[in-house]
Amino acid sequence: MLLLALSLTVLQSSDTQPLDGFPGLAAGRKPTVEIAWNRLYDYDEIYAHFDRLALTYPKLLTMEVIGHSIESREMRVYTLNNPETGSASSKPAMWIDGNVHGNEVQGGEAVVYTAWYLLENYASNERVRELVDSSSFYLLPMVNPDGRASWFRDAHSPHSSRTGVMPIDSDRDGLFDEDPPNDLDGDGSIVQMRKYMPGEGTHRLDPDDPRIMNRVPANDRGIRGDWIYLGQEGIDDDGDGRTNEDDVGGYDMNRAWPSMWMPDHVQYGAGPYPLYWPEARSIARFLYEHPNVAAVQSFHNAGGMILRGPGAESFGTYPRGDLRVFDELGEDGEKMLPFYRYMIIAKDLYTVFGGFATWTYEGLGIISFTNELWTNDRNSPDDRLGSDRAEQLWFDDHLLQGAGFVDWHAYDHPLYGEVEIGGFRKDVGRVPPSFLIEEMLHRNAMFCLRHARAMPSIVFEPTVLTDLGDGVTAIDVTVRNDHAIPTRTARAAEQGIGSPDLFTIEGENVEVLAGGFRSDRFRPERISLAEREPERLVRESGIGGRQTLRIRWFVSGSGTVRIRHLSEKSRDAEVEISLDS
Amino acid sequence: MHELALALCAATTFALSGPEDSPSELKLLDHAGLTAAIAQIGTAHPGVATVLPIGTSREGRSIEAVELSGAEAPGKPAILIVANLDGPDVFDSAVALEHATQLAEGYGSDDAITALLDTTTLLIIPRANPDAAEARFVSPRWERNVGGRGVDNDRDGRTGEDPPSDVDGDGAITQIRVLDPEGTWIVDPTDERVLVEADPKQGERGKYRVWTEGRDLDGDEQIAEDPVLDTRLNRNFPSGWEEHADDAGLFPSDEPEVRALMEFVMLRDDLALVLCYGAPENLVEKPSSVKDDAKNVMRIPPAGILQSDADMLAVLAKHYKETTENESKRAASDEGSFQRWAYDHRGLMTLSAVLWQMPEEWTEPEPDEEPAEEVSDEEAEEEEEMPDEGAEKPKKEKPPEPSPGAKRMKWVDGSEESWRFVPWKSFEHPELGAVEIGGFSPFALTEPPKSEWNAIAEREFEFVKELGSYLARVELAECVAIDLGGGLWRVEATVENPSLLPLQSRSARRTRTIRPAMLSIELPEGAKLLGGQVQKQISDLAGSGEREETVWLVSIETPDLITVSLETVNAGGATMRPEVN
Repeated sequence: MLLLALSLTVLQSSDTQPLDGFPGLAAGRKPTVEIAWNRLYDYDEIYAHFDRLALTYPKLLTMEVIGHSIESREMRVYTLNNPETGSASSKPAMWIDGNVHGNEVQGGEAVVYTAWYLLENYASNERVRELVDSSSFYLLPMVNPDGRASWFRDAHSPHSSRTGVMPIDSDRDGLFDEDPPNDLDGDGSIVQMRKYMPGEGTHRLDPDDPRIMNRVPANDRGIRGDWIYLGQEGIDDDGDGRTNEDDVGGYDMNRAWPSMWMPDHVQYGAGPYPLYWPEARSIARFLYEHPNVAAVQSFHNAGGMILRGPGAESFGTYPRGDLRVFDELGEDGEKMLPFYRYMIIAKDLYTVFGGFATWTYEGLGIISFTNELWTNDRNSPDDRLGSDRAEQLWFDDHLLQGAGFVDWHAYDHPLYGEVEIGGFRKDVGRVPPSFLIEEMLHRNAMFCLRHARAMPSIVFEPTVLTDLGDGVTAIDVTVRNDHAIPTRTARAAEQGIGSPDLFTIEGENVEVLAGGFRSDRFRPERISLAEREPERLVRESGIGGRQTLRIRWFVSGSGTVRIRHLSEKSRDAEVEISLDS
Repeated sequence: MHELALALCAATTFALSGPEDSPSELKLLDHAGLTAAIAQIGTAHPGVATVLPIGTSREGRSIEAVELSGAEAPGKPAILIVANLDGPDVFDSAVALEHATQLAEGYGSDDAITALLDTTTLLIIPRANPDAAEARFVSPRWERNVGGRGVDNDRDGRTGEDPPSDVDGDGAITQIRVLDPEGTWIVDPTDERVLVEADPKQGERGKYRVWTEGRDLDGDEQIAEDPVLDTRLNRNFPSGWEEHADDAGLFPSDEPEVRALMEFVMLRDDLALVLCYGAPENLVEKPSSVKDDAKNVMRIPPAGILQSDADMLAVLAKHYKETTENESKRAASDEGSFQRWAYDHRGLMTLSAVLWQMPEEWTEPEPDEEPAEEVSDEEAEEEEEMPDEGAEKPKKEKPPEPSPGAKRMKWVDGSEESWRFVPWKSFEHPELGAVEIGGFSPFALTEPPKSEWNAIAEREFEFVKELGSYLARVELAECVAIDLGGGLWRVEATVENPSLLPLQSRSARRTRTIRPAMLSIELPEGAKLLGGQVQKQISDLAGSGEREETVWLVSIETPDLITVSLETVNAGGATMRPEVN
């Protein structure tokens, strides 16, 4: 309630008259809903941003709760759609999500930014308006809100809080999550521990920067270091002789999806069966119930990648027709997202069984990408500054004034005695520093727009009637998909996913004698005639990307004829003609 | 829905336990009857039998287990019996229910049963698939194997528009055969009631087309090709799940019954063994196995039972066959089956038996009395020398071997079970014209003759009673403290598994889904552990007396106050003070 009141105040106070539209161009323009894009927001703030947008643009943005997380946080889908041009489900839709891994937080901001950009520009930018009017967006900013909340609330390393928070007995001793890493010094960061052991260690301190430890090369001369690494900050909470071995949770919700799913012992984190966790299950249910989703984007961090499947080598390769679409979008993505590489998960990254975006393609037949947002390489636009440890510290010293690094400091450890604790904080490495967040968000949001605009768009060309004599008319219908994504991907057609496209013709005083798809623009007799029901042509492969389909119907009768194209992933298109002219 | 409602009203009778001196009559019970019978067991035997809700089917029927257990014992193992996973196996649910009844009644009066339930918990789910089973009790009779979702089997953009039906109104859905030049079936030369597939390589030309009884409601010249429902429960489990297959479900655990059963298995960490009634069976026909260390193929473990487990299964199968003399088997894929999941993903030794399959009766005719077939070596040599003579001998045509169907007809003919085959009868089909309708009746191939019901239940029960004795039970075979002088003691504990089965199956050691045995030492105040682990996890312990020794070094004044405890979730346990030497 407090947040709602706040946003109302913001609305009322905006009495200056900026130029229409934001952003993209900066001078003299002010968004209706101001969001500072130079920081990261906790889960409730993410929803609050969306709620402010929904309050400001109530017609275009609506919210539904599709489920709850383990800790009962809402799984919210915000639907961005212009109801004046049709319901959300009547249009091809793009699904965008983020933050399935709790620590990969900026995916959430990327989803908010995309909504914000579309809404702020709807009134002033013709291209944005045209896109929003012809498609819809299902936006779920946080697949793992519990993990996100924990990342903000609790002490973490850059890599922790990836899991959800369902308790798992990772060390199989009958106790759950009883030996996590510990924030021993209470500074809100889980960093590293090291111990000074003169002449007995494996490492020595870098003479130029004692924050850095260098491993002593293997040698036969008895030369040893003075320091040893003791791993992550923590103690042996459960007294079983191991440290930090049973952290909160212990699974991976991006290994939980049905296609090419493998159990835990093959694929770490997969859980006992696909869609086991309520977060994943609620999303799957939503997507099964929304067959109009024709594009999927999922945001992760980090590494600067535009990923597509397959996730597992054993899948083989994707059908060529679909690869053309993936490649076109992926290659454009590389241009829009400097430092990002377009990659195949199984081939260029590592094996992922049961990944989300591989499931949305392999299981649901939707062109899908996973972007790994941010890479340390982006800290410097050229190779004078790289991203090894010394260079990261240089960056931290000069551009963050040392804010990202916990300096080594003494601690009296119950087992190891006097140790030092120090290292990079959780928000270094996998998320950008504050001043580079906005660029990351904008470029990725624009990649979403590029993808959304590729969703199928069907138009009928003028219909041609030919009088064949004896009261028989040939109706030549030409129907076009101007965009790159087919109404039925090759994967969907191959596996019989969803419903095939239908082309129907009807008229009160018309009898449809025959009909079929033409295969030659100039020779109408080259036609594959329907064996039955010529008034209802079924096409498993739909209309391909940038494909023109030609249909010829043979009819007798008179009056008006209505011709329709029905497809799950495009707006229904229809044309009416009169046989009487 | 009307039919289902009627069935619920009509069938209100259920089996009550009979007088003690005569075995109770087995009855096939519909859902209402079965639910009442299960409740009755719980009410009549409150100390021994508990009814546990497992879940609710898609159509809203309850699924229940009967838990049977006597005295409590630490680490008491449980055996899970699951029946009627496939809808038509209604008889199996009667057998499982009878087991529950006999166990409940026998506890306290029958020594073997009392001993079993004091050391082992039995969990019996008589009917895992109540929706499909209900078809056994409605007219027309139909072998319904599916629940759950329907798919568009014939890819015409309509789902479930052409289901099977009782076209001739005889109360059973059987088969249609129709003379058709495109047919691929011919009559078995030994029995014209039976159809076999024509073999074009033998110059055979098909004569008939064969359909499941039904109409062609969608006018596509296919009969009953798009049923309303398609998912088969025992294809909807995660192991080996076949994505996009019509009968496998949208995703593993899509069916509520499947998810409920999995959740139950995961909840019961006391499970040590699973026994299923139904296909795929593995007690009569040896299942395929792979080496324990078989290499993954593209990171995926090859399918099959691991050799060590297959060896144990072979021993159990031998006991099963000796006890029951059952030889029934039924070809069935294990892909997506509960049996495969329980073993592959949960590591549970899983047995499965087909309780009855219509026998194939045929004896190969005796070889000719003439010595033509059997020739001595000398004669053979002569023959080689005089090949012409051999060729001149009049050849006797070997009578063709009947097809499996024809062999079953011989069994039907020799039994008093004529209901099992509906003679082909001419019928004027609304779409096909002149056809014949007939063939094996629903349930004819899998439901045993009534005269055998009690004997089957008895013989299976004998095996169930044996099962407890095979389960792993760990003991502290020895526990001694040896004086080393100076207040130092060497404590030795020997863990032994005297039973047949190993502490954990090879599969469980791979899946890591069963908590290992935990051996721990507890010392009184003032004592110190100078060597050895406080806790030690043991999962690799074969049966038949395999031992594992553990040693600790303790500084203690009163070694008789040391406690060594062995804890398991499903294989017993013990606590001892060492014998002081």
